Amino acid sequence: MSQNQQSGDEASAESESLITTDVQPAETNRRSRSATILETRDLSVYYGDDRALTDVSIEIPEHSVTALIGPSGCGKSTFLRCLNRMNDLIDACRVEGEVTLRGKNVYDEDVDPVALRRQIGQVFQKPNPFPKSIRDNVTYGLEVQGKSATDEDVERALKGAALWDEVKDQLGSSGLDLSGGQQQRLCIARAIAPDPEVILMDEPTSALDPVAASKIEDLIDDLAEEYTVVIVTHNMQQAARISDRTAVFLTGGELVEYDDTATIFEDPADDRVEDYITGKFG
Amino acid sequence: MARTEYQEQLDELRSNVVAMGELVIDRYDAALTALEAKNESLAREVIEGDGDVNESYLALEGDCIDLFALQQPVASDLRFVASSFKIITDLERIADLAVNVAEYAIAAERERYPEIDLAHIGTETGAMLAEAVAAYEAGDAELAAEIADRDDAVDRLCSDASNAIVEDLIRTEYDDDPAELMDDVSRLLLTVRDLERVGDHAVNVCARTVYMTDHDTELLY
Repeated sequence: MSQNQQSGDEASAESESLITTDVQPAETNRRSRSATILETRDLSVYYGDDRALTDVSIEIPEHSVTALIGPSGCGKSTFLRCLNRMNDLIDACRVEGEVTLRGKNVYDEDVDPVALRRQIGQVFQKPNPFPKSIRDNVTYGLEVQGKSATDEDVERALKGAALWDEVKDQLGSSGLDLSGGQQQRLCIARAIAPDPEVILMDEPTSALDPVAASKIEDLIDDLAEEYTVVIVTHNMQQAARISDRTAVFLTGGELVEYDDTATIFEDPADDRVEDYITGKFG
Repeated sequence: MARTEYQEQLDELRSNVVAMGELVIDRYDAALTALEAKNESLAREVIEGDGDVNESYLALEGDCIDLFALQQPVASDLRFVASSFKIITDLERIADLAVNVAEYAIAAERERYPEIDLAHIGTETGAMLAEAVAAYEAGDAELAAEIADRDDAVDRLCSDASNAIVEDLIRTEYDDDPAELMDDVSRLLLTVRDLERVGDHAVNVCARTVYMTDHDTELLY
């Protein structure tokens, strides 16, 4: 097993210095639904002396929705942030083990974290559009890459986020003027504009009302046709509704069980998972 | 333990399904007793008491739907509620079959085929039913599988009884009114089938218990 160890300081410095360096694209051909796109091997994360994640090994199939569930503090968000090196931005964070995207270790020195994050986009818990126009929000990711965004790019991303019909006549309006649910879909449009391979979502509906949340859930299902979605959710029924595979993390940052979602919710193998999802624990 | 009220609702569902099972067992036993003893008043009690079973069924069906809708059970809880939801249907059908047996006890001319041992078949299927309810209550998949295995023997008993009735009908020249004869024979054949169906429903209860306990669908299909 190869290991990567780096301090948050080093990672942050690298993040700044390599900002203009594109990560070399891995294989571009779309594989079968069962092919692994993301893999972690013995992934551990420390915040100072505290271990937040313990030897997590997992294979995430492409064009699927993988849900990460578990009680607060179990490490699922930490795990998510490792996948596109968002943890690099936390000074005290130290990562051991491997995260590979199509076989390429994303912690290798020749990988530019910023470029990586265009391949592995992220949507956060609270909608966080920039204080810019709807159009500028969508084109931001492309322009950071030095690419000019066309009207077609904007339309494609907004259609991909199921927002086009609602905003096509107001692309110059501020993204902050949209409703919460629309803002979150705008953030999804921003994430998919650079055509990533993977979209990470960290509780993307927890700040939304049920109707807005259901639109996002429908959208996630559609997104999985083109992208690989990894989602952290506290809502187990949401995980059951929208995901193909579910990973259950428990306290101590341990991945306890990872299987087809139907198996997890109908017949989990581990008693601790059974106790957690039925509410007997946590 | 978290979700205390939910856990209490699950415990209550199990207790109430078992109570419904015991009520159905009592009604079935009473119907068999009425048949053997030609006790018309007891038979009428079974027939008139079917409403109690139906009320119990509807209440439990509502409880299961509430649990699905409001508590969204998963894993073993899901299998338990789903199995209970199906099992109460089997119990309700068994109560209907007990009513059929009770009606036969009132109407039938049992002297015609004394060698057909309905009591034996009824005792066997009644025992299967009682043990199936006990297996459900205990979550005992091994016992449930053993009970289900006994159904083939019951099927043979019923098949032998039906064949004997039909052979007798073919070979014997009766002086009775043909319509009355056919009515007696068809009622008896239907009763044999009803007793056999009780065994089938007991097997269904066992199959759901095995699924509930071990997530094993082998007996279901």
